[in-house]
Amino acid sequence: MREDRELSREEIDAFGAELDALRERTLADLGEADARYIRRVRAVVRACCWSGRLLLLAGWFPPTWLLGTLLLGLGKIIENMELGHNVMHGQYDWMNDPELAGRTYEWDIAGPSDFWRHTHNHIHHTYTNVLGMDDDIGYGVVRLFPEQRWKPFYRWQPLWVTLQALLFQYAVAIQHLRLDKVFKGRISREEVRPLLRQFNAKVGRQWVKDYLVFPLLALALGCNALAVLTGNIVANLIRNLWTFTVIFCGHFTEKAAVFAPSTLEHETRGHWYLRQLKGSSNLQGSRLLHFMTGNLSHQIEHHLYPDVPARRYAAMAREVREIAARYGQTYNTGTMSGQFATVLQRIWRYRLPQAV
Amino acid sequence: MPLIPLRLTIPLRPWLAPLRWLTAHHWLRAADVDACLRFLQPAWALTRIHARVEARRWVAEDMLAIRLRPNCNWPGAQAGQHVQLFIERDGVRLSRSYSLTAQADGCIEIAVRRQPEGRVSAWLCEHLSIGDCVELGAPYGELRWPQEGAVLLAAAGSGITPLLGLLRDALGRGFSAPVRLLHFVREQGQRAFVEELQQLQARYPNLAVEWAVTAGAAGQRLNAEQLHAWREAHVLSCGPAGFVEQLRELVDGQAASLQVESFTPPQWRAEGERRPVRLQFFRSQREAVGDNQVSLLEQAEAAGLKPEHGCRQGICTQCTCQLLEGAVRDLRSGEISHEPGQSIRICVSAPLGDVRVDL
Ligand code: FES
Repeated sequence: MREDRELSREEIDAFGAELDALRERTLADLGEADARYIRRVRAVVRACCWSGRLLLLAGWFPPTWLLGTLLLGLGKIIENMELGHNVMHGQYDWMNDPELAGRTYEWDIAGPSDFWRHTHNHIHHTYTNVLGMDDDIGYGVVRLFPEQRWKPFYRWQPLWVTLQALLFQYAVAIQHLRLDKVFKGRISREEVRPLLRQFNAKVGRQWVKDYLVFPLLALALGCNALAVLTGNIVANLIRNLWTFTVIFCGHFTEKAAVFAPSTLEHETRGHWYLRQLKGSSNLQGSRLLHFMTGNLSHQIEHHLYPDVPARRYAAMAREVREIAARYGQTYNTGTMSGQFATVLQRIWRYRLPQAV
Repeated sequence: MPLIPLRLTIPLRPWLAPLRWLTAHHWLRAADVDACLRFLQPAWALTRIHARVEARRWVAEDMLAIRLRPNCNWPGAQAGQHVQLFIERDGVRLSRSYSLTAQADGCIEIAVRRQPEGRVSAWLCEHLSIGDCVELGAPYGELRWPQEGAVLLAAAGSGITPLLGLLRDALGRGFSAPVRLLHFVREQGQRAFVEELQQLQARYPNLAVEWAVTAGAAGQRLNAEQLHAWREAHVLSCGPAGFVEQLRELVDGQAASLQVESFTPPQWRAEGERRPVRLQFFRSQREAVGDNQVSLLEQAEAAGLKPEHGCRQGICTQCTCQLLEGAVRDLRSGEISHEPGQSIRICVSAPLGDVRVDL
């Protein structure tokens, strides 16, 4: 478990001020290189997706089918994480480039980006790991902390989690509809209807694009439509599994903390920073890993600075770690396999009511 | 060599209609389509206006005329209008407004006066080269040439640019009533388009051009005598706010018509004491008087607007909107933003002076 020193009010303020200073320093340094970087990322996404789709047209021939599927999956992963997620956080708003504006970017995934901007940018990032407020804690189907009230269906949660991982893009998309509250009658059907329309439109577009247009295109070109369809399904699946793993490693590892809603009362900027630090966990690894996770491997830095371009997190992490150490705060980090193992343990352990 | 010549984008435009429909309905991303078009022709785009630099020449010591050939999305402009010109510097897209001084053969000409501290104008003057591409906004501006009767054009500094555009256009169309152009400049070398104006004068006997140099002991100022014989003409004036105001006082009530346009470099004072400021909410067409200490979100709400927002503390970016004019201060860091078109988070931005935001 975590070992954090209790901080006095003054210490918390000083802690916040140090983190603020780091933020200002980094923001002041943004420029050409960051702009070039994100455009390159976008070029890589295009190259992966387009070449993947092209290769899939070659049919079932294993080398091209496998490579095509992998490239398409890779393109989607990078688009969702390093490009879409980060752009939608407004990390590149300082560029004033309408193509990279956080509030209009639409990503290549089932969930409408408007939904995401609300559930993720607002709810999750403001109320990180606050029980009852941050719906990202288990996304309503998983019990990960003893503080969550047990319900009978948690008994089967390893199964739910598996399903969720396979269908992760829909799990994320559906979150904003608050279906649980609709069923309980706390939100009227009228209220969800416009959201539902938006949801259907986006999911419909994604399905038509991946599962209809490209297979039909293959058919029209005299290629194997089934190979294209399967390639698209598998690519989406790969993306789902990968993003699920990365995201569950972000907040549900062994040393991640949850908070009671009362922590929000009179929360200062310093407190908020502290909560972000305690609630998030990092992954150690190569630069490739950081890139493939959209730098969410630096989850702590991402939560402290959600609107700072993610390519800066690696450099910021060194300072954050040093600051955390000085204030006696655990800096939760580990290898991906190690961190993920503790997540799986949580899923397994807290399926039972008496587990503490 | 581009694969497709820029001129060809114009006849090709209708053929891209299906693509425009698909992007408008979110089936395709405009950015992806534009990337492909750009590959074929650097100034091509689905809906955005890009233009290629065709020529550049100095028309005064501190003024550069740039001839641009816009792509197929240029809607055409009236003489006397202005365009927003966008460039990217250090990763940031910056924009400034410039007036059209001429239009011919599918090209437009703008004139840029180098501002000593200007990030955009200095770059344009020094680095923009022939063949480069820049982005333009749609043309705007209300100045119109009068139907008939004598016309007095009074310009100060770079205020000459829209008036020159109007003048060239009117004379070209055969306007025959007397026209007088008065151009006030600080120094002799700042007289712009001298050659062109002299040629016009030689060619059109109804045109008289005069320059007034304001610097130094013998400096001339705008005064009633200069205007005496022309008080009853149609008056068009463009220049800094002070100049335009002065002119308005001199001719008001007598001129057959009066059209003025003024530009004033942005002015604001940092933080300091509480001051009233004027807030313009562009999208909702509302105005309010606010102050420079409170966030724009709170002030917009106080004015009866309901801007979208989430955390109210600068985290979630839901309140992001465009700053159209003026300057704001980030309440957390004190950082100042004043780029037109910049994205700001209104929950943590307070105005530093009069502002216009896209709310
Ligand atoms: S309301 Fe969340 S950033 Fe402004």
